[in-house]
Amino acid sequence: MSIKMPVPDAGVLGRRDEIIAALRRIVPGEGVISSAAEMIPYESDALNSYRQPPMVVVLPNTTEQVAQVLKYCHDNGIRVVPRGSGTSLSGGSLPLADAVLLGMGKFKRIREIDFDNRVVVTEPGVTNLAISQAVAHAGFYYAPDPSSQIACSIGGNIAENSGGVHCLKYGMTTNNVLGCEIVLITGEILRIGGKAPECSGYDLMGVITGSEGLLGVVTEITVRILQKPETARAVMAGFPSVESAGECVARIIAAGIVPAGMEMMDKPATAAAEAFVNAGYPLDVEALLIVELDGPKVEVDELILRVDAIARECGQTTCQISNSEEERLLFWAGRKAAFPAVGRISPDYICMDGTIPRGRLAEALTRIRELSEKYQLRCANVFHAGDGNLHPLILFDANLPGEMDRAEAFGADILRTCVELGGVLTGEHGVGVEKRDLMPEMFSDIDLAQQQRLKCAFDSQGLLNPGKVFPTLHRCAELGRVHVHAGKLAFPELPRF
Amino acid sequence: MDILKVRDAADVEQVVQAALANEQPLEILGHGSKRGIGHALATNAVLDISALDAIVSYEPNELLLTVGAGAPLADVLSLIDSKNQHFAFEPMNPAKLLGTGHDAGTVGGMLATGFAGPRRVKDGGARDHLLGAHAVSGFGETFKTGGKVVKNVTGYDLCKLLCGSWGTLAVMTEVTLKVMPRPESQRTLVLRGLDDVAAVRAMTAALGSPYDVSGAAHLPATVLRDTDSRLMEIAGGKALTLLRLEGIAASVKHRAGSLTAALATYGAADVVDDDVSVGLWPLVRDVTPFAADGAFGERPVWRIVCPPASGGKLGQGLAGDTGGDVLYDWGGGLIWAALPADSDAHAALVRGRAEAAGGHATLVRAPETLRGMIDVFHPPQSGVAALTQRVKHSFDPKNILNRGRMTRGTTP
Repeated sequence: MSIKMPVPDAGVLGRRDEIIAALRRIVPGEGVISSAAEMIPYESDALNSYRQPPMVVVLPNTTEQVAQVLKYCHDNGIRVVPRGSGTSLSGGSLPLADAVLLGMGKFKRIREIDFDNRVVVTEPGVTNLAISQAVAHAGFYYAPDPSSQIACSIGGNIAENSGGVHCLKYGMTTNNVLGCEIVLITGEILRIGGKAPECSGYDLMGVITGSEGLLGVVTEITVRILQKPETARAVMAGFPSVESAGECVARIIAAGIVPAGMEMMDKPATAAAEAFVNAGYPLDVEALLIVELDGPKVEVDELILRVDAIARECGQTTCQISNSEEERLLFWAGRKAAFPAVGRISPDYICMDGTIPRGRLAEALTRIRELSEKYQLRCANVFHAGDGNLHPLILFDANLPGEMDRAEAFGADILRTCVELGGVLTGEHGVGVEKRDLMPEMFSDIDLAQQQRLKCAFDSQGLLNPGKVFPTLHRCAELGRVHVHAGKLAFPELPRF
Repeated sequence: MDILKVRDAADVEQVVQAALANEQPLEILGHGSKRGIGHALATNAVLDISALDAIVSYEPNELLLTVGAGAPLADVLSLIDSKNQHFAFEPMNPAKLLGTGHDAGTVGGMLATGFAGPRRVKDGGARDHLLGAHAVSGFGETFKTGGKVVKNVTGYDLCKLLCGSWGTLAVMTEVTLKVMPRPESQRTLVLRGLDDVAAVRAMTAALGSPYDVSGAAHLPATVLRDTDSRLMEIAGGKALTLLRLEGIAASVKHRAGSLTAALATYGAADVVDDDVSVGLWPLVRDVTPFAADGAFGERPVWRIVCPPASGGKLGQGLAGDTGGDVLYDWGGGLIWAALPADSDAHAALVRGRAEAAGGHATLVRAPETLRGMIDVFHPPQSGVAALTQRVKHSFDPKNILNRGRMTRGTTP
C-alpha cells in the first residue's frame, strides 16, 4: 500500500473490547463481528490491492441502530467507515485499523413502489439491479446502470454518484435521486427531499450524492423510475484509427443525436473481449464503436440510419446493425465483459477512470500509448465515448517486483493527462483513496478548503471515512478562520451608480 | 444605495473581503429581474455582477457553454439557439408574473434561483445542467467546483448547492453549463374539460407511459379568462390539459397517435402541431395566466412543489377552500396558486397542506410588507434547518452574502 492513511488512535485501539461490548448492546446477536477470521471479507473493496482489517464490523438492522452506533462513535471519538456492497473501485470503503466498519448490507428491503409518482422508496442495501427488477413487471426501470449493478447497492451508488453506460442520455445517480433519510455522525436522523420533484432550501441531496461516505450514512432513498423505451438497437462500427472513431462520436453529438450509450474500445480491448465472449467483433480495426439508440421503433430505425451514414462519412471499415434483441445483447456482451476479459490476458490490472472533453479523445489515446511505452506496461482502453469518460486498463503482474508501483505511477500519469487536457480525475468511480493524493492536480488549496468546510458542517470532528477524498486533513476550527485582507469598503476605481 | 459594479472575479474577491472586514452585508445582483422574490435585504451595499457578461467559450460539439455569471440570459439563449441547442430545463422567465418588464435576467440569476420550466419532468432542473463554477465565497476567496466535462465525480458537487441558493452561499463568477440539442419537432396533445383531479390522473398516465412526454400541464377554465389569446382560443372556454411530445418528426407523430389512444378514457384529444405547440409552452413556463398585469395580478402567488400524483387533490382543495385559482405544471408536481389576498396569504393553510402531501411552498409574489411577515421559503424541519445554517456558515461565516434573502431575521 503506497498511500498513507490517518495514524490509528492508540487510545481507541486500547479500548477495543469496551467498544465491541458497547456496539453489542446496540446491535445484539450476530450484528457485531470482531474475530480476525470473520473480518477478512471486509478488509478491502473492489480496489483490492489495498487491504486493512477494521477494528470491528457492525451490521445494524434499523435506522435507530445506525443512529445509536454513530452517536456512540461520535461521543467517544471513534472513526467510522461506512460500507455498502464493497464494490467501490476507488477504495471508498477501505477500513481503518482504529475504525468501526459500518456495513449497510442488512438494509435489504424495498419499502414502497409508487408507480403514480414514478418513484421507489428503498433501503440502501438493495442492489441497483433489484430496483429495476422490482418494477419491471409494470414496464419501469431505474436508469443508472453501473457495470457492477448485480452486486452494487443503491446506498453505495449514492455515495459514489455512480454512472454507467446509459448516463449519456439518462444521467448519473444524482439526476435520478429525489430524497433520502440520512443519519449524521451525531446520531441525528434527517429527511432530505422525498417524492416531490425537488427539495426546498439548499439542495442537500445534491451534495450528499457523491460525497463518498464522508457526510453521513443514508438509511433510506427515494429514486426516480422511468418507463422502459419501446425498443433499443445498436450499431457496431469499426474504424481504421482512433481519430476517425473520435470524429464519428463528435459528429453524432453535433447532429443533435443523444444515443442511449456510445462506447469505444481500442484494438487490445477488442481483442481481449472477442477472445473471451466471441461476440463477432472485427479484429483488424483500431477502434470499435458501439452506439445504442432507444425509443419508439420509428425513431430508433431512423436514427440508426443517420448514425450509420455519419459513421460512413467518418470512414468506418466494418459495420453491423442489430436486427434483434439477441444481436444487440451480443454486441454489448464483449463490452460488458471487457474487464474480466482483460483479466484473462494479464495476472493483474488496474482500471482508471478519468474524463476528458470528447474532442480530445484521440490526443488522450496517443498520450496513453506513449506512457505505455515509457512504463513498459500494456494498456487496453474502453471508453464511455459519448461523455468522454476513459477507462484505461493497465496490465501488470503484481508478483514481479516493482510492477505494481509502476502501474500506479502510470495510472497517475494518465489522470494528470486528463486534467491537462481540460478533464477531471474521476468520471464515475470516485476519488476514495486511489485518487486522493492527485486532488491537488485539479484543485487549489482554496478549492479543497471550501469542500472541507462543507464536510465540517456535517461532521465537525472528521470521524466519518477519514483518509478518503482529501489529501490532507485540517481541523475545522482552522478551516473556518476568516482572514481579513482588506479594510474599508471604498473602491474608488469601481464604477458606482 | 452603494452599487459596486465589479469588472472581474478579482473585483468580487476584493469587495467581499472588504465587506467581511466591515461585517457589511452585500446584496448580490445581476439584472434584478428576480429581486422581488424572497425577503427584502436590509443592506444598502450592492455587488452588481452584470458586467461579468463574457461568453467565455461555446462548443456546440461538446454540448458545453462557459459564460460569466452576469451574461444576459436572453443573449445566451439566442446564441445557443443559433446552433439548434437549448437549456433542456427550460428556465422560467418570471418577468410577467412579477411585473418587471421583459428582462429574463442573467445566467447567474437563473442558476441561483433555479426555477425550471415544463421540461423538468423529463430532463431535470437547473441543478442537473450546471457542470462547473468559479465562485467567491463569503471568505472572500475564489473557489472552483465541478469541471468542463459532462461526467465528473471529483470532490463534492458544490454546483448542486449553488443552484437554488439565492446567492446566499457564494457569488458565482463563471459557470459551465450543459446544453442539449433542441428537438427537431414537437406536438401537443390537448384534452379539454377535465377537472383538476382527472387531469392529474391523465397526466400521470401520460408520464408513466413509454412515450417520453416532455411537458404536462393543466389550466383550469377559470384561469384562462383574460389571458393570452392563444390559450383562450385553444381552450374554447374549457379547462386545458396539455401534453407535449418532442423529438424527430416521425417519432413525435407516432407517439402522438399512441398517447391519444392510451388516454382515450379521458376524452378525445386534439393534436396541435409545431408552430402552435411551440407558442404554448412558454405561457405555461412563465405562468402568464397569473401575470402581474392580468386578472389575477393583485393576488399573492405561491409555487408549490409536491409529489405529482397528489397535485390534483392538493390544488383543487386549496382553490376551493380559499376561493383562489391554481394551475399545474410537471404533471401535477408544480402548482402555481394565486390565492385571494388575506392577512397571511393563507400561509398556514398552504404550508400545512403542501407538507401533508409531501411537498413544500414558496411565496413567489407578494407585497414586501407581506413578505416581511411570513416566511417566503418553506421552513425546514429543525434538524435540516440547523444543518442548513451550518452549510451557510461553511461558505459565508459572517453572513455577508444576501443576508436574510431566504429566511426572515438575520439567518440565511
